[in-house]
Formats: sequence, C-alpha cells, structure tokens
Amino acid sequence: MKREYQTFVRQFKDLKEGRQELFIKDLTPGPRKYDTKFVRAEITQSPEKMKTGDILRIRSESGVLLPEPWGIKILEEISESLPGHPWEDVFKVIKEKGE
Amino acid sequence: MPFQDHRDFIETLKKTGDVVKVTKEVDWDLEAGAVSRRIYEMGGPSIWFKKVKDYPQGYTLYNGSLGTWRRVAISLGLHPETPVRQIYRTYEERLEKPIDPIILEKKKAPCKENILLGNEVDLYRFPAPMIHEGDGGRYIGTWDLVVTKDPDTGWTNWGMYRFMIHNKRWLAGWPQPTSQLAHQMKKYYLPRNQPMPVALVIGTDPIAHMVATAPFRLEEDEAKFAGALRKEPIELVKCETSDLLVPAHSEIVIEGEIPTDQIVPDGPFGEYPGYRSGTMAQGVGFRVKAITFRNSPILTMIALGVPIDDSSIAASLTAGVAMKRGLKHRGIPVLDVYVPPEGVTHLIYVSVEKGGAQVAKEVLEYFTARRVMVSKVIVLDEDVDVFDNGQVLHAFATKCHPGRGILVEHYEGRANSLTPCYSPKERTRLKGASVAFDATWPPEWPPEIVPIKAAFKTIYTKEVQEKVIQNWESYGFK
Repeated sequence: MKREYQTFVRQFKDLKEGRQELFIKDLTPGPRKYDTKFVRAEITQSPEKMKTGDILRIRSESGVLLPEPWGIKILEEISESLPGHPWEDVFKVIKEKGE
Repeated sequence: MPFQDHRDFIETLKKTGDVVKVTKEVDWDLEAGAVSRRIYEMGGPSIWFKKVKDYPQGYTLYNGSLGTWRRVAISLGLHPETPVRQIYRTYEERLEKPIDPIILEKKKAPCKENILLGNEVDLYRFPAPMIHEGDGGRYIGTWDLVVTKDPDTGWTNWGMYRFMIHNKRWLAGWPQPTSQLAHQMKKYYLPRNQPMPVALVIGTDPIAHMVATAPFRLEEDEAKFAGALRKEPIELVKCETSDLLVPAHSEIVIEGEIPTDQIVPDGPFGEYPGYRSGTMAQGVGFRVKAITFRNSPILTMIALGVPIDDSSIAASLTAGVAMKRGLKHRGIPVLDVYVPPEGVTHLIYVSVEKGGAQVAKEVLEYFTARRVMVSKVIVLDEDVDVFDNGQVLHAFATKCHPGRGILVEHYEGRANSLTPCYSPKERTRLKGASVAFDATWPPEWPPEIVPIKAAFKTIYTKEVQEKVIQNWESYGFK
C-alpha cells in the first residue's frame, strides 16, 4: 500500500522533477496526520514509473490542489527544521541551500 | 462577577442559549471546521464538540466564543441584547481604569493540573483541528493568546497569532512581520541571537482573548486592560520553563521559544479577511519545551473566514476604540469610529465634528503612519450614525465627490500582506495603498448652500415633527 504525502509550492511550475529537498506532510489517517518532515527525495510527475515510491499531492500557496499527484521516493529524513531567520522565505532558503 | 475562565463563560452561554453541545463524534480533520464555519454563516451559537475522533473522552473542541455581539455583551457582563454602540462605550470607558494582575502560586493555578516537560511533549495529544480543506496544517492556535516579553523593560505583549502543528514538538506560526511580537523579536532577540521565550495560551477568560486582538501601543501591558474590562484583576501564573506570566485559569499553555536561527514552514491558512491568500512559508518556528493543561482540556478555535466570526467581531470592538483614541491623540476632531465586522478591519467609518479635505487627509495620515492594517476609510459628518450601515452607505453614495473626495496614500514595507487584492509581489514587499473617502461637506461652503438632508428630523421644523409625533396614533398607526 503506497503512503500519501503532501507538499506546498508557491506555484505548480516551481516544482522540478528529480532529487529535491522539501518539506512533506504525512497524510496517513490518524491522530498524527499532517506530521511534517524535511526530506531529501526523488520526485516525479509520472508516479506510474516509480515502482517503489509513494504518492505526493501538491498544493499551491492558496491551497489549490494539483489534480494529478506526483510520485515520491524518500531517500533521507534530513531534519525537523531548517537553518534560517524568522520571517525568512523557506523556499528561498531551500533553493540557496541546494545551490 | 467577571468570568474566571472559559468554563464559567460556557456555563453562562448555556443559560442564555448561546452554545450548542454536540455529543455526536466529530472528526478534527475538516468536519469540526466545516460545522463551525456553517454556523457562523447562519449567525448561530457557539459550539462545544464533546467527542472528537481519535481522541479520548474529555479532550474537546470549542468554536465561536465571541462570534456574535450577544456573546461579546455577555463576556463583558452586559445584557445579551445590548446595542453595539453601548458595547463600544462600555469597552471604551472601562479601559480608562487599568488594573494590575495578581500573580498566583503555581499550586493554585488550574492550568498546572497536568505538566509535560522535555521528551514528554507531544502536541498530538490535543485534538487540533484541520480547519479548512487545503490549509497548511492543523492550527492549534487560532482563538489563542500569545505571550512574549521585552527582556530589557519587562513589557509583556499579548497578541492573537496563528500557530499550526509542524510535528510533535514544533509549531509554525505567522505573527505578521509588522506585529508587536515581531517588534520585540527584531529589536531585542535577533540582534543578540537569543531565542525568544514564548507561551501560547489556549482557552482562557474570554476577555483576555479579546484583549489579545487589541492594537494597544508599544509598551502597554494587555493584562492591565484585561483587568480593566473585567473590573477585577486577572490572575496570572509563571511558566515552567521561562519567567513569562500566563492566565492561570487557561485550558492549555504551550511553552517554548522562537529560535533566531531555525525556521519551519507555516501556512497557508484561511485568514480573517475571509480568504486564503497565499501568505505562506515566511513565518517563525516555535520549539516547544513544555505543555501544561487542565484536566479535560477545552481547545478553543475559530473557523476563520468570511465574516462575521469571532475575529471580525472582536477586532471591530478593540480596533475601533483604539483608533478613536489614536485619532484623538493626533488632534483630529473625531466623534465616533466604527469598524463594521463585514469589512474585516479593512474598512473603517470615522465621524468628525467638522470635515473637509484637510481633516480627511489627516485621518488618512493617521491610518498609514506605521503598520497599515486598514485600506479604506470613510470620513463622515457628525449627523451620520457610524453604527448604522445604511446611513453610512447613503452618505458615501451622495456626499463623497468622485473626483476630489478620494485621497490615496501609497507605501512600502508596512502594508497588510493579508489584504487579498495585493499581488504576491506586493505582499512580499509589504507594499500597498490606503484610501480615504471624504463623505463630509466642504467646510468652505457657505451654510446657505449646503444641501439639506431630506429626513424627518432634518427637513421639518420642530413644531411639525412634534405635531406629527403627537398625532401619530390618530392617523391610524400603532
């Protein structure tokens, strides 16, 4: 049974395929649903090609759900939080970290 | 006698018919939020969800503490049918006499009945609701009270800021970057690279929550004003992991710190202007160090959104009176200020003794001088009752000159990024604009040319009015 996760982006076009670092929320039903982790993962727009992966649902900054989910294979749980200052843009920090 | 806690308040609401107890099991994941939202839109009562899915008996959710003017009146000890104007007056008068809080011993504080420290901390022990479909997470802090302190002067700030569960020991939140919490963080903690102690209080005396929404000036302690409104001191108790003081009768207190070097993503969230408008991932992290709570804790919430709800009602009162104080302080001849809840603090009505373009300009300058939460102000003459939307709309439609009666002020770095009409770029740069609609007669017009309002009280002589009133029943009217 595949697990389901969710991530947020500002706009759908911001999400790129391949190896990425991102915050994901675990959608497994129960009292810990929506628990959030910062992970390194392989993500793809074509989940059918990812045999051992899970499902990644994607929402925009207004909470709009992308109709078609992506696939995700978690490679590593990195940390609970991210180095940064209060009110700093989390996406900008992740992008700069990857460069 | 003022309410000591939320439980007293709910008991009174039971007697007045302003709360419904839901005993059917309700899912914390969207169902409680959807029920609560629907009730707001029907103008209904507050709701106490007694059985929440996935959680033991006794862990309950309560929505809508001050979601109607009736409940605001009750919270102040007034008759439920007290008119809004009178509620404003009472609030304004009571604020004149601040009362210092009392500090309780820990053993006497109900919020210390249960204490979780260090590794025992688990935010998932509480039925935090997923309020709207598509929100960024479970917002445990909506109808809350967030306590922070200026380490040099001791000034303690209370604010109402959103906080969601990130994981079992982290919260993510979004106090606006122009908020008083942000002021304290940027002035004291960030330059010293010291984490800021913080306490998130859930479910306390309803007046304390109301006061947390009030825009008091910097250095003003909200606890004294809570005492003023209650006409009795509020009882506080010291936190377990910091020297912050929190209301002793609170249901749940989450203690921790906002680090200066770590962040977690907050949002998005359906906010008080009535939209989920993209403010996300630019907030603060909250590392939880302790949770204290009462037996059978009641988690208070607001299914925020399209008005009218607790936020738009409480802010109407607290912001309206604060604005009146501020305008008077600047020497503007203000008579009344009303913040219609439907305008979600974006639209303000101000009546003045004597109007004109200069006064309208001064009013606009007041609203745009520092952080700007207001985008539209209607300035009105003294004959308009600002508490009557119909009168305001009539004056705006007829007296505001479409060319010279509209004043606009643009600014950057201090706008309200929750204003839905701002573009993502404007929100990021806190760039915005505010407008004053001058719906007053130009003071330079000679009195004999000023149009006469064709109303019973203004277009007939006293004699004719008295005659008509005296003969009213004889015309066949009751």
